[in-house]
Amino acid sequence: MTQGEFPCRDKRRGIWQATHWHIKLLLRAVSRTLSDLHASGQPAFSRMDPEAARLEKQRVHDVYESTAPYFRDLQSKAWPRVCQFLQDQKPGSLIADIGCGTGKYLKVNSQVHILGCDYCGPLVEIARNRGCEVMVCDNLNLPFRDQGFDAIISIGVIHHFSTKQRRIRAIKEMARVLVPGGQLMIYVWAMEQKNRRFEKQDVLVPWNRALCSQLFSEHSPSGRKRQCGRPETSHPCHAPCSEWSCSICFKERWDSKRSHSLDSEPVMTTTCCGSILKEGEGENRFYNTLGKSFRSWFFSRSLDESTLRKQIEKVRPLRTTESWANNTVSVQPSRHQDFDHQEPFSTKEPNEDEEVFLETSQKHLEWLRAPGTSKHFRGDQEVNRRNGGEIFLPPTNTGENCADADDLKNGYPSGGEILRGISAVSATDSNPGDTISVDKQQPSILDSGAFMRYYHVFREGELCGLLQENVSELHILSSGNDHGNWCIVAEKKEKL
Amino acid sequence: MKLLTHNLLSSHVRGVGPRGFPLRLQATEVRVNPVEFNPDFVARMIPKVEWAALLEAADTLNLAEVPREPTEGYEHDEDFLRKMHHVLLEVEVLEGTLQCPESGRLFPISRGIPNMLLNDEETET
Repeated sequence: MTQGEFPCRDKRRGIWQATHWHIKLLLRAVSRTLSDLHASGQPAFSRMDPEAARLEKQRVHDVYESTAPYFRDLQSKAWPRVCQFLQDQKPGSLIADIGCGTGKYLKVNSQVHILGCDYCGPLVEIARNRGCEVMVCDNLNLPFRDQGFDAIISIGVIHHFSTKQRRIRAIKEMARVLVPGGQLMIYVWAMEQKNRRFEKQDVLVPWNRALCSQLFSEHSPSGRKRQCGRPETSHPCHAPCSEWSCSICFKERWDSKRSHSLDSEPVMTTTCCGSILKEGEGENRFYNTLGKSFRSWFFSRSLDESTLRKQIEKVRPLRTTESWANNTVSVQPSRHQDFDHQEPFSTKEPNEDEEVFLETSQKHLEWLRAPGTSKHFRGDQEVNRRNGGEIFLPPTNTGENCADADDLKNGYPSGGEILRGISAVSATDSNPGDTISVDKQQPSILDSGAFMRYYHVFREGELCGLLQENVSELHILSSGNDHGNWCIVAEKKEKL
Repeated sequence: MKLLTHNLLSSHVRGVGPRGFPLRLQATEVRVNPVEFNPDFVARMIPKVEWAALLEAADTLNLAEVPREPTEGYEHDEDFLRKMHHVLLEVEVLEGTLQCPESGRLFPISRGIPNMLLNDEETET
């Protein structure tokens, strides 16, 4: 709305703009509601559920189970705010950690009794061996009597449920077992990250243990910084830092403006990426490789009823690479633009296949790309096929990506290995990225195509909206953003 | 699995509802794991315990007699608190089963970890 010298005209324009904006909002709201209804209406829900369960089995549970052994030696990072929440609970409280993984939060407060629960048996075993009280159960059907717990934490869990109804169900179950007045803290991975953004909300994230072991075998707890980014280590793909926001070594700062109720905290400056960025030598090559790593993000289509079945088919055999040949890299729009133009992720069914590489074309990420790197990855598809369905990009083909080829000659691992060197960048769960040291004597690199984890990353406001609209028994106390996660603290309302 | 944990557990087999509590405990291997006694901690736990379920479980494990209900002034009764501390926190079922009292469904406890997962057919929709 322009402030002009002609009040009448400007006023009319302003009114028109306002009206236009409201119409736009209304249309968007309607289309979103429609898509939500379509995705989560009663009949649709029951039809979708077995498929949702199957996707979660393959792309969440089986992955955690298969990769659990590698978490044995890991020191997972505990988010400070979660620890604070636990420490704020009254002594003698009964607390549940739903989705506890290897139990990193179970010993934070010795004055409370905390029960760890996870779907994944092997992870629970690890927690047990550390002396924690744990059990195996399903968030969707918590085996607890009503109102047993004074507090519950759900850190990096809800984002593994593949439909909205299941996410709601998970939250409602936790609300059920909370005492009135009890508090629930939820952390989910945010779609909006500081220097990049997931193009879609439903994604498959690769994980590679071998990379973790290679990378972290070089590191000692204090020596992490020193080892970062050194070309001669021949591990160009940097290890994900313990901070999720640094997981692919973008220097990310926590945006204090985005936090509503959580105080600002400086991002760990001792993370690897911090020190890497200070190093000039070898930086380009390192970041070139990072760029390749980054481009290997594999995005699935969002899961609504009309596409879920198809997605299951796509997800299982990652060897089908024909679909990749048609992929073009999509330029990532700016955040605000995306919000405005974001389509409801449901009813619309594009003709091309779902998987889309994400290209980071934002200016501040330009240095990630090797000069001459093509935006289009068609040429890479053949190598994908050769690698038997590896979803990661080989760095070189022909004239394109010359710089990448040079990188290879300089002692970096082969293309295939680079490709596999994409670690899971999970916001909050036990994560290879949190490793400090891992046994060097690891078996050969695993087929990382098998270790893809499904996530539904949350948009800003989505988690709040989910609670407000669907879980009336909870009252939101605070919400905000913590290191790339949307988080909420809610309280169970007192019974009337 | 500690008895305090057992006290929270309920069967969620479809259709069972509140009749799924408490689970009938059967133990083939039990261990006593010393835990530092914190009287305040135990005192705060007492009101949260479903006493009948605790009695039943303690009885199954042949534990020293647990009072039928918390004695008056229990907060300052160190003997009582120590006894409850032992029963709730120090006794661990390593191997055994938990049975839904309504459906009869058995949930295993192995290596101290109860597994409460149900098949799809058994769960509530």
